Order: sequence, then structure tokens, then C-alpha cells
Amino acid sequence: MQQYTVTFLPAGLNLTVTAGSSVLTAAAQAGLALKSSCGGSGTCGQCIIKVVSGQVQLTGGNLAAQLKQQGYTLACQTLIYGDVVLEIPATSLLAEHRVFVADKGRLPDSLTELPAEYPLQPVCETVSLKLPEPSLTENACDMDRLLTNLQRQKGLKAEVGLQLLQNLPQTLRDSNWQVEVTYETEVNRILRIAAAGSSRSYGLAIDLGTTTVVASLLDLSNGIRVARKGTYNRQAAYGDDLISRVIHACETNDGLDALRQSALTTINGLIEDLLVEVKVAPAEVVAATIAGNTIMIHLLLGISPKFIRLQPYIPAAAEWPPMNANEVGLNINPLAPVYIFPAVASYVGGDIVAGVIFSQMAQNEHLNLFIDIGTNGEMVLGNDEWLIACACSAGPAFEGSGISNGMRAMSGAIEAVNIDPQTNTIELEVIGGGAPAGICGSGLIDCLAKLRRTGVIDRSGNFIATDNPRVRPNDEGYEFVLTPASESKTGQDIVITSADIKTLIRSKGAVYAGIQSLLKTVSLELDAIDKIIIAGGFGNYLNIANAVEIGLLPDLPPEKFVFAGNAALKGAELALLSRPAWQQALELARKITYLELSSGNLFMEEFVAALFLPHTRLELFPSLVDAKSNGHRQEN
Amino acid sequence: MAVQILRERSRGAVQKVVLGATREEGGTRSHTVTVGGDTALPFHHFEGEVSRPMLAMEVQDVVPDWPQALKNCFAGVLNDPGKWAKKCVDEYGADLIYLKLEGASPEGANKSIEQCVAVVKEVLEAVGVPLIVVGCEDLSKDQELLAAVAEAARGENLLLGNAEQDNYKSLVTACLAHNHSLIARSPLDINICKQLNILINEMNLSLNRIVIDPSIGGLGYGIEYAYSLMERVRLGALQGDKMLSLPVICTIGDEAWRAKEAYAAAIDYPCWGDELERGILWEALTAMTMLQAGAHILLMRHPQAVAKVREAIDQLMNDNSY
Repeated sequence: MQQYTVTFLPAGLNLTVTAGSSVLTAAAQAGLALKSSCGGSGTCGQCIIKVVSGQVQLTGGNLAAQLKQQGYTLACQTLIYGDVVLEIPATSLLAEHRVFVADKGRLPDSLTELPAEYPLQPVCETVSLKLPEPSLTENACDMDRLLTNLQRQKGLKAEVGLQLLQNLPQTLRDSNWQVEVTYETEVNRILRIAAAGSSRSYGLAIDLGTTTVVASLLDLSNGIRVARKGTYNRQAAYGDDLISRVIHACETNDGLDALRQSALTTINGLIEDLLVEVKVAPAEVVAATIAGNTIMIHLLLGISPKFIRLQPYIPAAAEWPPMNANEVGLNINPLAPVYIFPAVASYVGGDIVAGVIFSQMAQNEHLNLFIDIGTNGEMVLGNDEWLIACACSAGPAFEGSGISNGMRAMSGAIEAVNIDPQTNTIELEVIGGGAPAGICGSGLIDCLAKLRRTGVIDRSGNFIATDNPRVRPNDEGYEFVLTPASESKTGQDIVITSADIKTLIRSKGAVYAGIQSLLKTVSLELDAIDKIIIAGGFGNYLNIANAVEIGLLPDLPPEKFVFAGNAALKGAELALLSRPAWQQALELARKITYLELSSGNLFMEEFVAALFLPHTRLELFPSLVDAKSNGHRQEN
Repeated sequence: MAVQILRERSRGAVQKVVLGATREEGGTRSHTVTVGGDTALPFHHFEGEVSRPMLAMEVQDVVPDWPQALKNCFAGVLNDPGKWAKKCVDEYGADLIYLKLEGASPEGANKSIEQCVAVVKEVLEAVGVPLIVVGCEDLSKDQELLAAVAEAARGENLLLGNAEQDNYKSLVTACLAHNHSLIARSPLDINICKQLNILINEMNLSLNRIVIDPSIGGLGYGIEYAYSLMERVRLGALQGDKMLSLPVICTIGDEAWRAKEAYAAAIDYPCWGDELERGILWEALTAMTMLQAGAHILLMRHPQAVAKVREAIDQLMNDNSY
């Protein structure tokens, strides 16, 4: 097949591609992450590029006429048929995500002080050994010498594999018979043999998220986190949401491998960055833990997720067999054991189990509710005696997906909206300052609360102030103009439409209905909850008062809400440092009761009741009712 | 030994809604009709107040597409809504007239707003009982039509319908401006029923001017869903949920006569028996079921079904307290 050279400006990257490849694919190969929430189907209109020179074929796609006239095209709809030079505008690249910038978790962030339940007992330990030198009379072989002395000196009955054996004779002699042996506890398998004094051992904790991937490197000898990095999951090139990726994996030739490789490229990129930063060699990383949802883990391991998507939603495995880094494809010590968090059910994955481990709710006598507000809104309710979990399909609205001008929480996103009811003026807070490009989850929640508060929409989300100058009719109803085209970064109006509002109400309704369903299943009331632990990147930027005002979260005193930050990552770190924590993860996954919301009508009933601002049962939101009557009194 | 009678005491009551207005009150009705006020489950006289359910008979502004047996009862007046209504009140003893402006439908007779308003005035002149007036179920036509009816019948305190979740604002505005009450209609869903009441109430139409139409099914066509929903509405009202404590109106005639069992000819289904009797019973039984579920206003068609239900109501209203 004909090959062509592609040059990307302004980065100046070159690469060779096969005729007919899309620019989006080429960009991914070149390591440029373009925005593409639709996964290259031409509908989201985000992967905007300009063809500077060369032969291409355009296949269509959803792009504003104004941009087309200026010579822009969509990368996913532009096929390469010649040596081409392409320009990628900065706005088409994924910018740094807020989730990496800071982690404002209020639960202890430092792991140097481990909780009492999880003492520092790393999954891999290192011992120093001085071996007697062999002689003509003391002529045991190298392996026996090592293993016998391990048992004699350290009481450790260990085993060693071929890969280590291949280098063992040389290593022992080079180290002058003084070595450090790193082994996996519990199974006592030797992972690494190095000269005494030269060895350090590190562990790698990975949060493999659908949108973002975060990894941290921990010193296993003292439990200190030495570095942490995050990036976008490169699988995003195949779609923002899990389902598009599952479809790509199952219905495209080599689709599964492409998704596996992009997950590995993402993780290995992070590993390289981490290791370079703290000057650690790959061989010194002797263990890894991975927390991810069930589908992400299937894709990472190259297992078809086809049947998870179809009723009755069965995963290949919930608890993963032992595996090493070489098999998984991680660029660390090839023998390093990889611990993948077990799942409770197909839609309550290992990331949630890791979060529960970190939250320590299974050790708490008080009732806690753990919520991860994401596409799949997973939540776990319980205490030290019982735990019950469910997953409600909240949809990706709060991540900015499926909303007209929605975007992730990154530079240019509106994160807060203030509307003056008298003057109708709007003040927007934009991440990173400057002109807004779209609106992110926290901005959407704020916007919904303010539109309702100022009477622009009613409690059902219908526009009622249709004479408001910012409200105008559109194809499907009305829309509210947040930023006119002249003031936006995209050159287009930033609006929130009737359809967006309905989508948001459905999303928030699903989360609230999930909480109510859990409570009703165990016959408890909201006020029985001692703490609500909010996890996930979104949780860090969630305004609790607004979230309560729209009925996303229950109306409980603010002190009952706790942000856990990236609980999945922290759980993965804990498991690396403390084998009891890992044991507990295995136990929890088996122990947590899974409530399937799609069977029975409990959830549907709760869901419809929650499709109101804040809720059909207003009495569930007493603080809002009080606030309202107080307001009236002041007016009088 | 005396038996200890356990009585449920309710915390709340169903809102009283007054329909119609007399001359002194700014209308032209000979009397008003009050529905609601219950403090107990339907006909549990021994536990609290039970209000008498009201029977409304249906009149249309066009000759309806009804089974012949039903139309025969109104022979000679089907072309004249005023006389039709008068017959219902004078001969068949209707408590209320339910005027359906079917002729406004753009897909049917497509009568002008003025023509429809004239019919409302004609019926108002013909009878002294309060009126329930609904549109033709075409969203945009109804908006205009009901606003015009509300204005023309200012002060009469009509019960106007239907306000629905996506289209309640204009009707509420019309009722507020011209002193009428309205029917809040929801699609067999208690949550939407309650949401709609909240939305309407938040536009400052007081709760004693709202009647709930929960959307029922006829006998054999999902009536049990309507039953359990109305049961929940009443239980909610008695437990003090203000937004559910409103009288309930049921479209009995419409649903009952839609059932094949109500109108299919005996010649086609010999074992089903005489069709006239069957239709009457189908409507009466649908009504009886809804009465037990807590209906306050029954919208009915056949005079004999009305007579049967009235007889049953008389018996059910006998005080059974002890």
C-alpha cells in the first residue's frame, strides 16, 4: 500500500502513514491527542484542523460553515492521499485537565502515616543476604546456595524462576556474594536479585480511568509517594464514553488491540515520565496495582468486553488471576506482580473497591455513603457490618459530554455562573481566566441552580421566562445564551438549551435515585448517613450547596460531605504498601452486595420522582424550603 | 366482650374545590358545586369526612363519533349543545356539564375560536349547573381557545382543562386572570402528577382551584394502574401531602366507551350479550371502580350508567360510622 509523509504544524512532527488513513488516526500515531468526543464519527466537531498543503479527501462531518470557509476541516473526516502538511490549532488539542492540577482531598493525602488497619507491609519486600562463597568442598549450586541461605538466615522459603536464574551466577559473583533479594510476600516468589546497597524497590499505583489516567510511584521501603503524574487516556481517540470504545473493540478489525495498545501507551508514557523524574530504573519497580472499571480492565488486558455490554452483563472475570508486568505489557520489572482490583459487579468495578478501601468505610461503625459521580455514578452504602453498592447510568453530562457546549474541566471552561435577577447581567468564572470556550460539570450545576433560582426555568426544567432577552427559541424549544459569539473563544455562542437542561436533570435524577434506592433497599432514611464521601476528579470541584439546590446530592448539613479526591488511586497506593489492604480489597469485592437497579421498579420510581428541581418530594430538601421562606420574609 | 375498633386518623384532608359562581359571586350559575374535603379513605364514614362524588355528563360542540346506542339517548339534541346540556341536567340529573370542544380540532371540524366561545356561552345560558370545559387536545389551538373561553366566561369559575406538564403556563395564566379553576392532567404517574401541581401552584394559582386528572384506563384496559395511583394520591393527601391533596376527576365515559367490549355488536360476539346493556354496564363498572379508588368527579356519557352510579353513590353515602 502507498505510504505518505505527514507533517504536523506547529509541532513539526513527521510520520509515515498508509494512504486513506484519517488525520485523526495519524495524529494519534504521532502522539498528538486531539479532542474527539465522538470517537471519530464526525459528529462532535471538535477535531478541527487545517490542511496547509497536500492531497486529502474530505468525507463530510459536522463543522460550522463559517469555519469551513476559513479552510478548516475535521481531522476524523480528512483522509490522507498524498504527502501533506497539516496545522493543528491549539484549541483542538486536549489541554491540561483540572483533575491533575491539584487534589484537594480533605481525607489524609499523605500515606506516610498509614491507618492502623493497614500497617506498612508492602506487597514486595527486600532482604539483604551474605552468602558463603562456594569452594571445592562446599560446592552447592548457586540456586541452592541462595535459597538455603534465604531460609536459614531469614526463615523464608522462596522460589526463583528461569528469568532470574539466567543471570544468577554472574550477579552473585559480581556482587561478591552480598545481595539484596526482593520477593513478593504471601507467595514468596523472588522478583529481583541485586548487589547489596544498589537496590531500591518501588511500587506503581495506577488509576485507569475512562477519561484520565493517573499513576504514582511509591518507595516500598518507607511508604513515601515519590512522584505522581496524570494524563488523558489515549483511548479517547476511540470515543469519550465507554460504550463507543466497547463497540470499537468488538466491531472493528484489531479494534481490541488498538484499545489495549492505547491504554498501554498511556500508562507506559506515565511510567517513563515518573521514572525519569525521580531517576528510577524500570527494574526497580517491582509491583503494580491497577484500579479501573471493569471495561477498562478488560480492554487493558486484551479481553473482549463484548458480553459486558449485553444483557445479562457478564464480565470475563471479577477477581483477576495473578499476572506479571511482562504479560500485562507494563514497562517496569517484567516479573513485577500486577494486582488488579477485583470488581463487585460489571458496573461496580475495581476503582470503586479501591475507593472503598481508601475511605475505610468497611472499618467504620457509622453509616457512610461513598459516591463516585461520573458517567456511571457508582455508589456504596454501609458500615463495618455490611455494604451495598449500585451503579446508576447518570450519563456523561457532568463531564461535559452530550451537552451543546459542554466540555471537560480544563482551561477555558466556565465553572461558575452568576446571574443578577434585576439587571440580567451574567458573571462567569472561567478556568484559567480569559474568554470561555464551553461549560464544564461544576459550571453546569451552578448554571442550573441559578437559572432555577432566577425563575428562568421552572422546576421541571422548562423555560418559563421566555421574554428574558437571553432566552431565545431554537429547533427543540429554547436556549439561554451564556456568552455571545463575539465574546467566546470559539467564535460561537455558548448556550444551554432545553435539551441540555433535560439531560442534566436526568443525570442528577439518576444519582439521587441511586442513593434513595440503596437507602430504601436497606430501609434507612437519609439522616442515618453519617458521612457522604465524594470521590472522583469531579468531586474536587463540586459546589455542595449548588449540588443540593438542584437535587443532585441529598440535603444534609455541609459538614457531612467529605471530598476523597482520587480515591481509586489512593486505594491502589494503600494496597501496594499494605498487604492487609489488598487482602481486604479481595474480601470486599466478594462481600459487597450488589443492587441491580434495572430489575424491579424501585429505581424507576425514584428516578421519575427525582426529575424535578430539586425533587418531587420537596420535603426531602428542607433547607431549600426554609431558604425560600426566609427570602420572602426579607423581601417583605 | 366489646370489640376495640381501630380507626385511622388522618393528618391531612383533600382540598375543597368550589366549581361555578352564582350572580353574587360574579357568575351566572344557579348554584355552586363543592368537591373534596374528605378526611378519610373513600366511603370510610367511620373514620372521617366523606364528600359526595359528583356526576358530570359529557356534551360536545360537534355530533360525536359515538356508538349508535349511546347517541340514541340524545336523539334530536346532538346538533345543539345547549339543548343537549339541558337534557342532561333536566332529564338525567347531571350535577355538572362536561363540555368538550372537540370541534376546534384542526384535524376535525376546525371551528374558529369565536364559534367555540359561542358554544360555551350557549351552554352557560342553557343550564344553571357549573361547567367543565376542555379543549380539543391540539396544543397550540387549545392555548388560544382556552384563553378565549376563559376571558369570555370571566367570573363563571369554570373548571378548564387540561393543563399538562409541558403546557401548563398559558392555562394557569388564563385561570388567574379570569377567575377559573383548572384540571391538571398527568400521564398515569404520581410523580408527574405531583410535580405538575407544584409547578401550577408556584405560579400562584391556589390549590383550591386545581383538580387532578390522573389519566385512567377503562375497565379491562389498565384500570388497576389508575386504581393504585389514585389510592396513593388519597393516602398522600390524608398523610398531609398538600401537593397531592386535590380532588380527582376521571374521564370515565371516554375510557369506557373506547373499549371494544362496550360497543361491539352482539351479532359479532353473540356470547357477550346485548350490546346496549353491555356498554352501560361497562361504563358504570368503570365508574364504580374509580369511586372506590377516590374519584370526586366522574365524567360520564350514558344516562342509564349515570343513573346506576347515582343509585350506588346514594347507598355508599349512607353513614356507616359506628
